[in-house]
Amino acid sequence: MDLVLLLQRIFDALFNSAIYSSLALALVIIFRSTGLLNFAQGEMATFTAYIAFVLLAGPQPRLTGGGLAGLIPGVPFSIPLAIFGAVLCGMAAGAMTERALIRPLGGASDVALVNITIGLLLATNSLMAQWWGTGPRFFPAIFPTGAGQHFTILGARLRYSTVGVWVILLSALILLVLLLRHTKTGLAFRAVSISPSNAELVGVRVGPTLMYGWAMASGFGALAACLSANSVLLEPNMMLRVLVYAFAAATLGGLDSPKGALLGGLIIGLSQTLIPAYVPFIGFELSVLPALVAMVVILLIRPAGLFGTQRIERI
Amino acid sequence: MVDDVFDEVGLKVEDLHASYGAVEVLRGLNFEVAAKGVSVILGANGAGKTTTLRAICNMCSTSGKVTLGEEDITRTGTAEIVRRGVAHVPQGRGTFPELSTMDNLMIGAYTRKDGEVRDDVERWFEIFPRLAERQDQLAGSLSGGEQQMLAVARALMCRPRLLLLDEPSLGLAPLIIEDLFERFGTLNKETGLTMLIVEQNANLALEMADYGYVIESGEITLSGSADQLRNDPAVQEAYLGA
Repeated sequence: MDLVLLLQRIFDALFNSAIYSSLALALVIIFRSTGLLNFAQGEMATFTAYIAFVLLAGPQPRLTGGGLAGLIPGVPFSIPLAIFGAVLCGMAAGAMTERALIRPLGGASDVALVNITIGLLLATNSLMAQWWGTGPRFFPAIFPTGAGQHFTILGARLRYSTVGVWVILLSALILLVLLLRHTKTGLAFRAVSISPSNAELVGVRVGPTLMYGWAMASGFGALAACLSANSVLLEPNMMLRVLVYAFAAATLGGLDSPKGALLGGLIIGLSQTLIPAYVPFIGFELSVLPALVAMVVILLIRPAGLFGTQRIERI
Repeated sequence: MVDDVFDEVGLKVEDLHASYGAVEVLRGLNFEVAAKGVSVILGANGAGKTTTLRAICNMCSTSGKVTLGEEDITRTGTAEIVRRGVAHVPQGRGTFPELSTMDNLMIGAYTRKDGEVRDDVERWFEIFPRLAERQDQLAGSLSGGEQQMLAVARALMCRPRLLLLDEPSLGLAPLIIEDLFERFGTLNKETGLTMLIVEQNANLALEMADYGYVIESGEITLSGSADQLRNDPAVQEAYLGA
């Protein structure tokens, strides 16, 4: 086996892994606190990438399809600033979603709420198509992507952009952990995740606390979309496949474990690239199959996922 | 109807009804808890003890009137009632099994804005040394008695003026229950904290309380000082195993 080629494939897979991990984290944060799978997570993320796009597009009429985008006076934002702005918008949108759609329906069953998020997926998707058209658009890269923009490690090329997304993802994750471990709001969020009714009995206002959760989750979603829009091209369905992989990653890692989401994203990303490369009868079109098989096997052995909480309670 | 039997009323409940769906669990309760006193509600399983405490905290749909000191809290939200000074240790203790002992105490102080939270933690660690030893352990891994201590300490972290305890003796060994009730008594005497305890274990509860009520099928059927209730033949037969 050509070891340099293997290393090269691993390096190549790491970029997608980071994107899967990031969206999986978004899913996990919401699942942990509300017990809800947010099917709209991917589309909400894509929407923020469009916001970054609008912020970047400048005053020139580069957007076709009219609508809102034509009305926003483009500001010559730098790329990192535009992405930062998009992440903030995404967090606000996430918080608003909780406040306007999820909280008022608090009494509804989980299945009903999941259906609401599927509705939100369709609505957001149509809205993007309406405003910005369905055609793919070029989205600038935040990190240099040209030829020669890479580190060379043992003969394999590790692109700057791959290192960049991991640095951003891990920094955001460290920030999240610090927030959860060392702030009052973070502690309240963890308490609500464990038991909303007990949290209320210590005076935590459950609704607003969950809103923070939705904001944090949508921030990770926005990162995933804005960082991958350059390589996959921006279009309304951009995150649809990514969402499926992120679901697999989150389930694999344990739906309530941020650590699991990170590792799950890595496993899905790596197996998606490596298995078709080394197992002859699985072509690249079937690349997701091994990941799903791995997921089923892991869930058979550990029903809560790799790092999912097996609830402990002593009576 | 209870007339004002106490000099100062900590909690007053008037015509309290509560239902789950079509089932009416509380059918017009009237009772009072003396400020700085300990009152106990005795009753069998399903009599409505837990619902009474839940209704006070507005955790189920109710009608009637609940007054805390001078404030009407009937329509106040649960989280807000905690801010007004009511700490509730619910059935199942209300602790967070996946949080550490320390985090459980810190979340208990969530509503506080003063700088003395750490001092209070130290104080409860002195009173419950077992909790200090296990401060970094997950609450779910503590023994039943330790968890109940944590639940009470957690509730007291918000510096309440009224403590509601839902069957604190449930699932604990007799020696531990005795120790626990002794601590409750001391706490009441030393801090003047008003307490309302619902219990099946009438012996210990009446020993510690100064006033008591008996609840049957969602109605108060008997009330009186702890001594009166202890000597009441009906109470003796039904709750004291005499």
